[in-house]
Amino acid sequence: MDNNGIATDKFEPRIIGFLCNWCAYAGADLAGVSRIQYPPTLRVIRVMCSGRVSDIIMLSAFAAGADGVLVAGCHLGDCHYQKGNLLARRRVVGLKRLLEAVGIDGDRLRLEWIGASEGAKLAETVTNFTRTIKKLGPSPFRLKYDKR
Amino acid sequence: MKGEMHLAWSTDGEILKRAEYGGAVTSLLKFALEYKWVDAVLAVKARNGKRYGCTPVLITNPEKVIETSGSLHCASPNIARYIKEYLDGALYLKIAVTCKPCDAMAIIELAKRNQIKLDNLLLIGINCTGTLIPNRTKRMIKEEFGVDPDDVVREDIEEDKLTITLKDGTEKVKNLDELEKKGYGRRENCRRCEVNIPTMADISCGKWGVMDEKETFIEVFSDKGSDLIEESIKAGYIKVEQPDNIALKTRKRKKEDAIKRAKKWQRRDFTTLKKITLNERLNYWFGQFNQCIKCFGCIDVCPICYCEDCYLEADRDLVTGGEVPPDVLFPMIRIAHVMDSCVNCGQCQDVCPMEIPLSQLTFMLNRELAKIFKYKPGVDVNAIPPLRAPGTEEELRTVVLNSLAR
Repeated sequence: MDNNGIATDKFEPRIIGFLCNWCAYAGADLAGVSRIQYPPTLRVIRVMCSGRVSDIIMLSAFAAGADGVLVAGCHLGDCHYQKGNLLARRRVVGLKRLLEAVGIDGDRLRLEWIGASEGAKLAETVTNFTRTIKKLGPSPFRLKYDKR
Repeated sequence: MKGEMHLAWSTDGEILKRAEYGGAVTSLLKFALEYKWVDAVLAVKARNGKRYGCTPVLITNPEKVIETSGSLHCASPNIARYIKEYLDGALYLKIAVTCKPCDAMAIIELAKRNQIKLDNLLLIGINCTGTLIPNRTKRMIKEEFGVDPDDVVREDIEEDKLTITLKDGTEKVKNLDELEKKGYGRRENCRRCEVNIPTMADISCGKWGVMDEKETFIEVFSDKGSDLIEESIKAGYIKVEQPDNIALKTRKRKKEDAIKRAKKWQRRDFTTLKKITLNERLNYWFGQFNQCIKCFGCIDVCPICYCEDCYLEADRDLVTGGEVPPDVLFPMIRIAHVMDSCVNCGQCQDVCPMEIPLSQLTFMLNRELAKIFKYKPGVDVNAIPPLRAPGTEEELRTVVLNSLAR
């Protein structure tokens, strides 16, 4: 057993996290500074706004072998660019439908609002998400990717 | 005035002889051109005089409008894309366009994206109960009806019957449902289509609610359309009378029946895709996507794809150039980009050389999104496609949150 009760077996999920510069990334920073433990499955990519994360970016992350994609931005109404997180939300809703229609579990894509002061929430999100992905197993995209 | 309804017929003897249902559409087009309402008419003409196939034609000579009269069922031209690509999005030319509901919706969607100048267009909507694939129809006429396809002078789809008329005047009728189960009949997307009357056009012309075949039922949806009818009556191009209650009732019943049939097809097509498990879906769709030969056909025909510089081109470094089959990313990105605005024109599936059921998937997703966001593509020119708009915070808190919670 390792941190947070996640059983270690051979499958280590790869989660790509697109964290918004103003809230979620600052939250991740805080989690680090406060030394909150969370599984080392998250690969963080800092974006200026969750609204920047287009469907192309999310799909590319999957195609590059991610088992899960986390998009994290500011809470509703807190967006540094007014409406970026609202855009992100609609996109994620749409993309989830597409993923499920072609046979990829929609749970592999996750949208979370994480404030700059919520280091603990980030850790909790990653822990939960890792558990979900472990249950789902490696992404079908990844199987293809590893074969190459 | 909006919502007016007329039974109209042409006053021109030649048009009456050649056109169907009183030739009102041909006369209106001729009037618009002769009285300088528009600079040109964009309509559809049989290719080389044969019924199986068509070409869009831009007509500036009023005498030639008559060549486009009569309906062609084996024709599914891509009018919206044609206006955008070859007529500069109607930026410099006033055009009267005859359009099926899907064409009209595609035009509205392109106008939303600033690709077509809607003010310069006069949309003459044509009611549509479905179009047929030319080659498959020829085979169907040979095998199912037992006649030479070149002898056919007219097809007609009425409720669930397909009627063909031969040169010598004989009529042959077959049940459309049975033909469609055998893989003939209407195009797949047309079977699922529930927009038979183009309410987004200026006027819609059709045969529903017509008693004998001597008149066209016209419903007006905009002031522009209303003016057109009024002026053309004044100029003596068409004559109209008010439809009686029976006509209105038949029209309403036929419309409801058509929607019911479309919903039935939607259920039939979509439940087979939805009831299978995730793994089966994956095998099915990845199997289909792996057949892709990256011909870019779907991108070239889709009336919603309008980007000058497409992300999927090799020089954008997203999809590897020269790799066939391309990464599954290729079809998925395309679908993700158009799914919120898909007008179910079926062009993508028509052109696909590998016969990937693209239109089925895109339209299925579109229906789901339409339910979530209460958005109908191609209806209101001021409504922004849901995946491109932030929406209100209120709506996002309630509607979207519910759909995200699983």
